[in-house]
Amino acid sequence: MIRLKTKLALFNLLSKLVFTALFLLFLPWIVERVNLRQVDNDLIQKRENTIDLIGKIGIEPFIHSDTSGIFGSYNILKEEFISLERTGIAEDLNYIDVTDRIIEEEEIAYRVINYTFMVDGQKYLLEIGKSLASIQYARRNINRIILVFLGFIILITLVTDLQYTRIILSPLKKITGKLKEISSPSTFDMIPVKTNTSDFVSLDNALRDLMVQIDESFRKEKDITVNISHELMTPVSVLRSKLENMLLRDDIDPDTANKVEESLKTLHRLQSLVNSLLLIARIESHQYLREESFSVQALLQEIIEEVNPVAEDKEVTLTGEFINDHQFIQANRALVFSMFYNVVNNAIRNTFPEGKVVVKTFSEHGKFRTNISDTGNGMSEAQMSTLFTRFKTKRGDDGDGTGIGLAIAKVIADFHKIEISVASEPRKGTTFSFIFPESSL
Amino acid sequence: MNVLIVEDETGLAKEIATFLKTENFLCDLAFTGIEASEKIAVNLYDFILLDLGLPDYNGLDLIRETKKAGSEASFIIITARGAVEDKVKGLDLGADDYLAKPFALVELLSRINAVARRKFNVQVHDIVLGDFIMQNQSRKLFCEGNEVDLTKKEYDLLHYLVLNRNKVLTRHQLYEHIWGNILDDQYDSNFIDVHIKNLRKKLNFHSPSPWLETVRGVGYRVSAG
Repeated sequence: MIRLKTKLALFNLLSKLVFTALFLLFLPWIVERVNLRQVDNDLIQKRENTIDLIGKIGIEPFIHSDTSGIFGSYNILKEEFISLERTGIAEDLNYIDVTDRIIEEEEIAYRVINYTFMVDGQKYLLEIGKSLASIQYARRNINRIILVFLGFIILITLVTDLQYTRIILSPLKKITGKLKEISSPSTFDMIPVKTNTSDFVSLDNALRDLMVQIDESFRKEKDITVNISHELMTPVSVLRSKLENMLLRDDIDPDTANKVEESLKTLHRLQSLVNSLLLIARIESHQYLREESFSVQALLQEIIEEVNPVAEDKEVTLTGEFINDHQFIQANRALVFSMFYNVVNNAIRNTFPEGKVVVKTFSEHGKFRTNISDTGNGMSEAQMSTLFTRFKTKRGDDGDGTGIGLAIAKVIADFHKIEISVASEPRKGTTFSFIFPESSL
Repeated sequence: MNVLIVEDETGLAKEIATFLKTENFLCDLAFTGIEASEKIAVNLYDFILLDLGLPDYNGLDLIRETKKAGSEASFIIITARGAVEDKVKGLDLGADDYLAKPFALVELLSRINAVARRKFNVQVHDIVLGDFIMQNQSRKLFCEGNEVDLTKKEYDLLHYLVLNRNKVLTRHQLYEHIWGNILDDQYDSNFIDVHIKNLRKKLNFHSPSPWLETVRGVGYRVSAG
């Protein structure tokens, strides 16, 4: 994952590098073009001057009829030359090209204008040349300057870009920070983030509205839960009191007492079913607080102590192997207790006499884990797939449970962001794994 | 002791009254908040059992009013709204205890007795059970000077049976009292049987305990005087 700030800076850097590369590629070519044009103009100007001069003073000062018929002049540094000679070629020449001339055993590239003209019936060829060495120097220098200058600019702008994006993106950082802090929608910080970037303002507003909406729907769900619980629990309550009063009468005969107790049992099943559903609904609508901090090992030890008499009675060995302890923060102890209790109890219910149930805590990949394994009958793939589904599970049939215990465990695990998973082998046993969230480590 | 039962569900109110009368309480009934408010103004009550979900009245307001009028009645809230906030609010207003519906009548009684003991600063006496002595102060059981080594759960179980002596308690009533409602789904009648079995084993090691009876098909009973 790359941060937005870094991404922007990287993009800026890349675009500058591409721009610079293009610049370095094309600029020298353009400069050369411009220079050549200037040289050409210069040469044409010089030709005009020469022709004017010849017009004024005649051709004789340059070429005498008795000499070889060639005039040539170089300046000392071989920057420029001029040559004039009689020529026999028929066509008229007027062009500029680049030729290498050997002057005093030194080969130099010249830009040369070739021009023919007639004086007194004689055709002359005029050549005026200008050395390209200076142009080549210029090109090299310009490249060097551009490289240094652009490098410098890139460096400066990179630093300022980074700073600037950091500043303009700081409201976004605040908004994501707000989201990270919350444990439920109602704890979202409703104070608007200070910014004049409209996108961030609308993002912040949208989030705020969303949180209010979610909070509102949670509240509605909570109301429904309360109402249903009232509606269901009141008649159960009346029935229960009536039956209990009957059972307490002195004149009740044992047979009737037995029947009343059986009715009470059935009523308890109904009560526990409603209670379980309410518990799930309450957890899912975040009616429980997550504000406690406790040692998981101590909690597991407490559960083992509590369940051990039942395990012993069944001749099942229940042991704890605590390699690491973990201080679980921002949690609800009663709920986590319930979660582990349900699973440990389930494990014992499904283990045969002389079997084993092991509660193990350890750290793996930087995360705290708890495994609860039994040597029971194990489960098939099909059974495992519906394990956490409400009312779909009925592992043992010796208990009075409603088959919702594991669904409750799952809901509690989700509420605490604990990852819960099952591995099972038929006739070998089952292992429940709980992986605790990293943040609470 | 005088008890006012404020409960709009008449069937439930009457059952509670029937039960408490056998325990020698004087019971008054109020089926609405207004009725309750009038009765509180005229009579002196030691206990007010208050259903928070009254149709005409906010139960919490009733607590506020009563406390304001200077009444020393103790409130025990009974409600089907099991929300944690309600419980906290009620206790904040000065209610003495809180029971979620549906509850066992014996549980209600033991709560009333607990509040009464606190309120009237009643000394807890040691209880004699055959050859055994139950020291409630130290929460220990002795047999002819020797301590019987009980776990916390075993002691709680015995204590609850002793508090409700001569009554048959069902396994579920015992379970509910000791483990509370949060583990309701895991209720296993075998649980209580195992604990009673262990308890008996420990008792009988010291001396026979015929006073701890199993009532076939119903539950358990302590029948000592």
